[in-house]
Amino acid sequence: MEVLHYFGAAIGLGMVVIGAGFGIGKLAAAAAEGVARQPGAADKITGAVNLPLFLLEGVAILAEVFVLLVVLLK
Amino acid sequence: MFALLLQEHAQEHAAEGAAEAFDAGKTIIEHVSNSGLDHPLIHLPTIVGIDFSVTKHVFMLWLVAAIAFLVVTLTVRRYLKQDRMVPSGFMNALEALVEYIRDAIAKPNVGRKWVSTYTPLLLTFFVFIFCANIIGLIPLFDVLGLLNHFVFHAEPDSFLARVVHGGTTATANFNVTAALATITFASIIVAGSKAHGFVNHWMNLVPHGLAWPLYILLIPIEVMGMFVKPFALTMRLAANMTGGHIAILAILSFVFLFTEMFGRAIAGIGVGLAVSVPLAVGISALEIIVVLVQAYVFTLLSAVFIGMAIHVHH
Repeated sequence: MEVLHYFGAAIGLGMVVIGAGFGIGKLAAAAAEGVARQPGAADKITGAVNLPLFLLEGVAILAEVFVLLVVLLK
Repeated sequence: MFALLLQEHAQEHAAEGAAEAFDAGKTIIEHVSNSGLDHPLIHLPTIVGIDFSVTKHVFMLWLVAAIAFLVVTLTVRRYLKQDRMVPSGFMNALEALVEYIRDAIAKPNVGRKWVSTYTPLLLTFFVFIFCANIIGLIPLFDVLGLLNHFVFHAEPDSFLARVVHGGTTATANFNVTAALATITFASIIVAGSKAHGFVNHWMNLVPHGLAWPLYILLIPIEVMGMFVKPFALTMRLAANMTGGHIAILAILSFVFLFTEMFGRAIAGIGVGLAVSVPLAVGISALEIIVVLVQAYVFTLLSAVFIGMAIHVHH
């Protein structure tokens, strides 16, 4: 039973990374496509992509903190 | 399964040989966390139930504040004294930074009218967080600790011996970032109140003119959102700073783990040369970017939240 704790935390961490990876991948793909179509708007596109990127990162980091808590506070 | 086998193996060897087994978790947590209240750097009296003793994160806070204050003030003083208005040396970098924060972060978010009101706050956030982050990356105190071990031989209870354990990132402490986020929280309310009046700021939290059942749903959500914003700021900065340090230390502790597991130093040195050191160098390089980006993110998000209170889009 002791091991299941670590098991759950590890699987949770993996799922967090998968989710965050999908999110960042979508953002980066859309931004790259936008810049390729319209290089002049690169600054505006970067600005628009930055904010959701950081919010997304915040969610992923929060999940990681909770995973760490699951391990530390068992 | 494999990990379990390795663990058993390591425990057997640890039980056989080494006098004190290497505990990676304990070492890492000791390095990352604040020093305990029973072993502070400087003992100070307890006033109104609050212990004012200086722990290592508090010491780093003071150090960072002093360095940031001195560097910025001295540079600007010297620039103001010279005859020509052309900046030279470090003043160029400082001017570029101030201009960037004002034009790229403050102006698009808080608007042209309020830009000179909130740029100083945002600049303070950026400079302080950036200095605190980057000083955490420099292993200055660890070098001092090494010197102490081989050269100085300070008493274990003296100030020097305690201070050499002090080299950590102050912003990796959740209390520090919580204090910074509280400033953001307060400035959001102040910004809204200054722009729309105190009562209107709270009315602006929810959109006007909806059917009344929606408000039962919306008001709790918006009030929760008010607290989630600074909470997310707190967690993001502290967790990013802690995470990088933990990753580097965990990878470097492979050296000692493998030495213990196989019972000879050559195994640890081999793993260190092949895996640990290259990976740790890579992560350290990544950390330099993270340090810059996190200071930028905190500043940007503060500006965005203040701007949201000023320009209500409902």
